[in-house]
Amino acid sequence: GPLIFGAAQMIELLPSSSPSTEIGTTSGDIITVTIGATVPTGFEHTAAEEIKEKIGVDARISKDRGRVFFPITTDKLFQVHLLRSVDNLFVVVEEYHHYQFKESKEETLMELQQLASTLPWTNALEVWKQNGTLKKKKGHRRGGNTAKSKPNCEGVGGSMASTEQQELPQENSAPEGWAGDTQAMETSTQDSDETGHGSKLIKFRVTCNRAGDKHSFSSNEAARDFGGAVQEFFQWKADMTKFDIEVLLNIHNEEVVIGIALTEESLHRRNISHFGPTTLRSTLCYGMLRLCKPQASDIILDPMCGTGAIPLEGAIEFNHSFYVAGDNNDMAVNRTVNNICHIQKRRADKGSMSGLPIDTVQWDLCSLPIRTSSVDIIITDMPFGKRMGSRKKNWDLYPSCLREMARVCRPGSGKAVLLTQDKKCFSKAISRMGGLWRKQHTVWVNVGGLHAGVYLLKRTGSYWRCFNKCK
Amino acid sequence: MKLLTHNMLTSHVKGVTKGYPLLIKATEVKVNEVEFNPQFVSRMIPKLEWSALVQAAEEDLPGELVADYETNEEFLKKVHRILLEVEVLEGCLQCPESGREFPISRGIPNMLLNEDEA
Repeated sequence: GPLIFGAAQMIELLPSSSPSTEIGTTSGDIITVTIGATVPTGFEHTAAEEIKEKIGVDARISKDRGRVFFPITTDKLFQVHLLRSVDNLFVVVEEYHHYQFKESKEETLMELQQLASTLPWTNALEVWKQNGTLKKKKGHRRGGNTAKSKPNCEGVGGSMASTEQQELPQENSAPEGWAGDTQAMETSTQDSDETGHGSKLIKFRVTCNRAGDKHSFSSNEAARDFGGAVQEFFQWKADMTKFDIEVLLNIHNEEVVIGIALTEESLHRRNISHFGPTTLRSTLCYGMLRLCKPQASDIILDPMCGTGAIPLEGAIEFNHSFYVAGDNNDMAVNRTVNNICHIQKRRADKGSMSGLPIDTVQWDLCSLPIRTSSVDIIITDMPFGKRMGSRKKNWDLYPSCLREMARVCRPGSGKAVLLTQDKKCFSKAISRMGGLWRKQHTVWVNVGGLHAGVYLLKRTGSYWRCFNKCK
Repeated sequence: MKLLTHNMLTSHVKGVTKGYPLLIKATEVKVNEVEFNPQFVSRMIPKLEWSALVQAAEEDLPGELVADYETNEEFLKKVHRILLEVEVLEGCLQCPESGREFPISRGIPNMLLNEDEA
């Protein structure tokens, strides 16, 4: 919300702080901080697994769904950008697990203002600074137009997961003092980027997320008053769009977390440059892929691939398997190929071997031109009645495609990971399949505001017998 | 289209019983470097229809698999190249029984059937 600036008072408050925060002395010393990550809801455990695997620490899953926390030392900071299951990253300034809000709104907001000047900002700001340096080294660029995404440079060997942006910060009308000239605006952004570490005026904003029914205040009010106090304390300039520092104020019932953002745009669009109407975010694709645990030489099919987000994420992150992306739609298969070519070109430009273990075919998923029992894993985002297709169509479509998927999938060892919002239709279709599929596990997720299920199915040992040939 | 994919593709024109393997008629082929993973290749070989690969490759791949191929790196590298690095960009795939041609464009085989063929 918009920030209105109020005065701050100094009062000591004792936080129930996380033990991992230590006081660093000078910058350059290695300090330990807590990193917070937002992940697709339902895949918190997947993210924790990946964090354990790539960073070697145990992550804590927050009660607030879609969030995990883990400790890291500043010398290992670059590793956080290797994570494929996280949408956004922030460094924790302070955490309160049982924050006692005051009775009245006025008292509560006053207390939030007082909080600003007492928080242990030092370490978090140090991490923010180092993170900024990391990004600069890898040639990260900000700005640009929103119509077409420009590829950002990616670090060698995948050490920086840079974003393939479609949602870039809006180029709003120029702030006071500027003539509204785009060129000038871009220059000013770069200036504050490069020198925003003390020598020039730092711009910031506060983003507040609030959840819970017992609060006397709104997120806008909290952002406003807390932000005002932050501004007073640091003498930073508030700017909603061209900020250097984004301060996060997350309030979930009694849990209050103050953090500083480390990612500007969400990492979830990283692979895709050519979008379609329902392109799935890469973090969700990654979560689904981890669920089916691709093995070396597994043949993995996405029979309704759309723009190819899932198989492409697989070909990059689980590259010891082979992916066949298919769709019946002209635009979809062409976009898929464009997305693949884009990644391959990016790799070639860095001097790596560009070829990816992925192919694209145009086909009808109810009549797949694939040998029976030749596929190990089927992974796909099934059409939702509300986003694409229709509920009525799903009643016919789901049984046909589940049957055809059972035919091509290897009996006994085969698996399927299917995302769908139409849970009723899906469950019914499975139960009428004559024992070809068995539900093993379900992850409940949120896709574009809709509640959906990711179903992990096992292909039973029953061999395929041609029942009714579907049209 | 890579030859690994071709190994799985069949014709599903109505009435056809011997729609595999599809004949490759390539007008444009490209070779792309793909990272070699010997485990990938040796574990993939048993999943393949070997004779179809030999036919498609037009190279001297043995008609029968050599014994101990899992440890024969030279052999595995050859198979790797054929499976993953050779790509048919333009051309078509022909059903061996009906003669129906499925076009390949930009590396994408179009396997969609017409109303009367389904």
